[in-house]
Amino acid sequence: MNTALRKVLWRLLAGIGVLWGAATLTFLAINLSAGDPALAILGGPESMPTPEMIVRVRAEYGLDQPLIVQYGHYIARLAQGDLGESYRLRIPVTRAIGAQIGATVQLSICAALIAVILSVISAITTAKRSPWVRSLVSGSELVLSSAPSFVIGILLLLVFAFHWHVLPPSGSGSWQSLILPTLALALPIAAVLTQVLRQELEDILDQPFIAMARARGMSETGVRLRHALRHALVPLVTLAGFVFASLLGGAVVVELLFSRQGIGRLMLDAANAKDVPMVLGITLLAAAIYVAVNLVVDLVNHWIDPRVKPA
Amino acid sequence: MTSTFFGCALIGVLFTLSACSPAADAPATPVAQAPSTDGIVNGDLISYPASDYHEEEPGKRGGTLRVTTAADTGTFDVHAISHGNVQWLGRVLYDCLVYQDEEGRVSPWLAKSWEVSEDGRTYTFHLREGVTFSDGEKFNAQAVKINLEHMRDPATKSPLAAAYIAPYDQGRVIDEYTFQATLREPYSPFLDVLAQSWLGMISPKQILEAPKSIAEHPVGSGPFVLQSYTRDQGAVFTRRPGYDWSPPVTRHRGEAYLDRIELSFVPEAMIRFTSLQAGQSDLTLDAPPQNAKAIRASTDLTLRSRIRKGNPFRSLTFNVEKAPFDDVRVRRAVAKGIDREGLAWIIGFGEYRVKADFLAANTRYYDPTYKDVLAYDVKAANASLDDAGWTERDAQGYRTRNGERLGATLLATESASFSSSVAVAIQADLKKLGFELRIELLPLAQVTDRRYAGNFQVMGGGYWHTNTPDGLYILYHSDSITSEKRIGQNGGRFRDAELDRLLAAARRSHDPARLERLYSKAQQRLAEQVPVVPSFESHVLVAYSNRLAGVIFDTSHNTVFLPSLWLQTEAK
Repeated sequence: MNTALRKVLWRLLAGIGVLWGAATLTFLAINLSAGDPALAILGGPESMPTPEMIVRVRAEYGLDQPLIVQYGHYIARLAQGDLGESYRLRIPVTRAIGAQIGATVQLSICAALIAVILSVISAITTAKRSPWVRSLVSGSELVLSSAPSFVIGILLLLVFAFHWHVLPPSGSGSWQSLILPTLALALPIAAVLTQVLRQELEDILDQPFIAMARARGMSETGVRLRHALRHALVPLVTLAGFVFASLLGGAVVVELLFSRQGIGRLMLDAANAKDVPMVLGITLLAAAIYVAVNLVVDLVNHWIDPRVKPA
Repeated sequence: MTSTFFGCALIGVLFTLSACSPAADAPATPVAQAPSTDGIVNGDLISYPASDYHEEEPGKRGGTLRVTTAADTGTFDVHAISHGNVQWLGRVLYDCLVYQDEEGRVSPWLAKSWEVSEDGRTYTFHLREGVTFSDGEKFNAQAVKINLEHMRDPATKSPLAAAYIAPYDQGRVIDEYTFQATLREPYSPFLDVLAQSWLGMISPKQILEAPKSIAEHPVGSGPFVLQSYTRDQGAVFTRRPGYDWSPPVTRHRGEAYLDRIELSFVPEAMIRFTSLQAGQSDLTLDAPPQNAKAIRASTDLTLRSRIRKGNPFRSLTFNVEKAPFDDVRVRRAVAKGIDREGLAWIIGFGEYRVKADFLAANTRYYDPTYKDVLAYDVKAANASLDDAGWTERDAQGYRTRNGERLGATLLATESASFSSSVAVAIQADLKKLGFELRIELLPLAQVTDRRYAGNFQVMGGGYWHTNTPDGLYILYHSDSITSEKRIGQNGGRFRDAELDRLLAAARRSHDPARLERLYSKAQQRLAEQVPVVPSFESHVLVAYSNRLAGVIFDTSHNTVFLPSLWLQTEAK
């Protein structure tokens, strides 16, 4: 069998292992933390379930069985792609996630693209430039990369939505409503990516082959775009992949702030309500995205620079 | 709804940030001033003019209303949840058997009239004819029976509706439009609870054939039908043609005025306020208290502040089975040692009415006689602790008795109505009495577990809204203590034979004069026994654009009654 293919298959197998590990750890964490799931199912603290109802719920959800048995059932159902029914929403977890995932993926992809584009432009134009340009740019990068998304989000809202009224403050229906949340997510990431990329570029611009290219009479823009950038991209892609996967976490904040639908809010509400099937479902989804993104990053890096072997 | 640690911290910061500007012009120290609540404040009683509950004149038809609210209920099956939004949401999609009148008495809705048997166990309802659900099903005795069954069916997992009709034993269809309900024991709040939105009537066909579909595609008999719903985003309701059975109390005739209601779920308070201010929404059902002052100052907007019936917010619930709160003198001292004005300011920015007794001021049979028994009085609080024998002081200034320091651990979770700053304010107040309050903030699920297990000394926060004084039974009767088999709201495990007797007798009585006496005595008993520390009223804060007309309120929940709203001019 082709070695590359075998490696990809091996990675997929390892990915399944990661998913199983994530499922097990989350199952343990959420079951060992205090909070009776029967209460969560029956409405939390503001409810007065009757005794019959509590008995019924424990039996229906298998909560009266030992944890190990519950775990066995859970893994068995999982293997069949059944994530169970949400305690809070009373609909299948897959359906709830399916209805929300689009908005989050749209936001994450837009944010990742914008972040990469911004960082490439900014790093190429500012690497090895005059000290005051550099200090101005890296100063603002420092501010952006240390400011949490919600601070940037609130500033964006104040300026564009409430002061100038040019963009809607909330919603996820139109493309206009995507702009501010995308920026709120993308700016801190762009700042980090720029710092990494510029450092790489500056190292590369000192390399002999760059001097060679210049000596051949290549323009500065040509040198930067055709030679330096390509070499600096590998760490950027690796980092961007990691960042994309972590955008799911950032989405919680941004979705709340901009009243967007999405996985982040679904997760927050589920965690608050101790909605076990939903929390497990979203955790698995996040783990699956990490696995997939890592695989894609390796393949893309291999394509950019064939010397980088898929792990 | 409260949060995990992460969520709390996050929302806490957001809240603080968004609260910045209005807080800046608030006085540095709280000033005692009567908050500008709606309604007629007569001494200690609050009443609302009858015109707040019915239409003065017919409105104009047409238009789309854009409404914001903080949270999504997650499902439209009102029988299956206890979410607070059901209070106004229920009136959009569903109708109830009965409706309360302006005075809190039960009045007709889908039931034209009813009789209660001598022994208080049999209720015979005569139903309105010609009512249909939006799927064409008829509303009749069979529909009522199916709805009551659905509420108590364990498969519905009802956290609230089932408990409210717990004494319901069986239903009988006498003829098409006559329904008879038999109770296991007399339960006079039965009619009142049937007026609450959580007990609205759902299409019997849907309940029997596809009960799971109620969550996302509800079919009711109400003035609007659900057109579309996007989770955590919003919902669109359209006017139901042919609707003609509003509660007579509202004096609304025929269909709703609005063509459409566009509801958006906007969790961030600042955005609910600013989008209202910018004309991007017409009404917010969760007006942020920190913006109340700015809304009042605006010429384009109106703020309404109403009180929910039932039991007010509590700052503390004592576990009366654990020292030192097994001693009523310590409970009384703590209750009198907390400055409620300060707490109300932290949470309500001057919008919340402080409260030292046990029923909301607009609840039927509220008796203001005992309102000052637990009023803020440091001198009396100290005297009560001296009396309890906590007379020595240690090096840190805390009281001691036989070498043991006076103190307790407060168990709480961060929420909009009980923040960590409230806990710290209480801690500071009690320190002045020589009482050491240690604070333990935990995620909601853990607090809930320990509350039901009775594993705490004193707990922060909580309120119970219901449209009858029977809320006292739910919170303080010994039957409401959580046990092996039952989940109850009497979290402090308060047990008092005299109070039990009064509240049980009230459940058996339909005589207003007797009920008034019983509930008055119960309120007196609570003021003497101090199972909890009431802190302020539970407020409904709504704000709307002045182009919105026909704003009347629900008699049970005091939330905006959406079906009577209309718009004066079309949106720009």
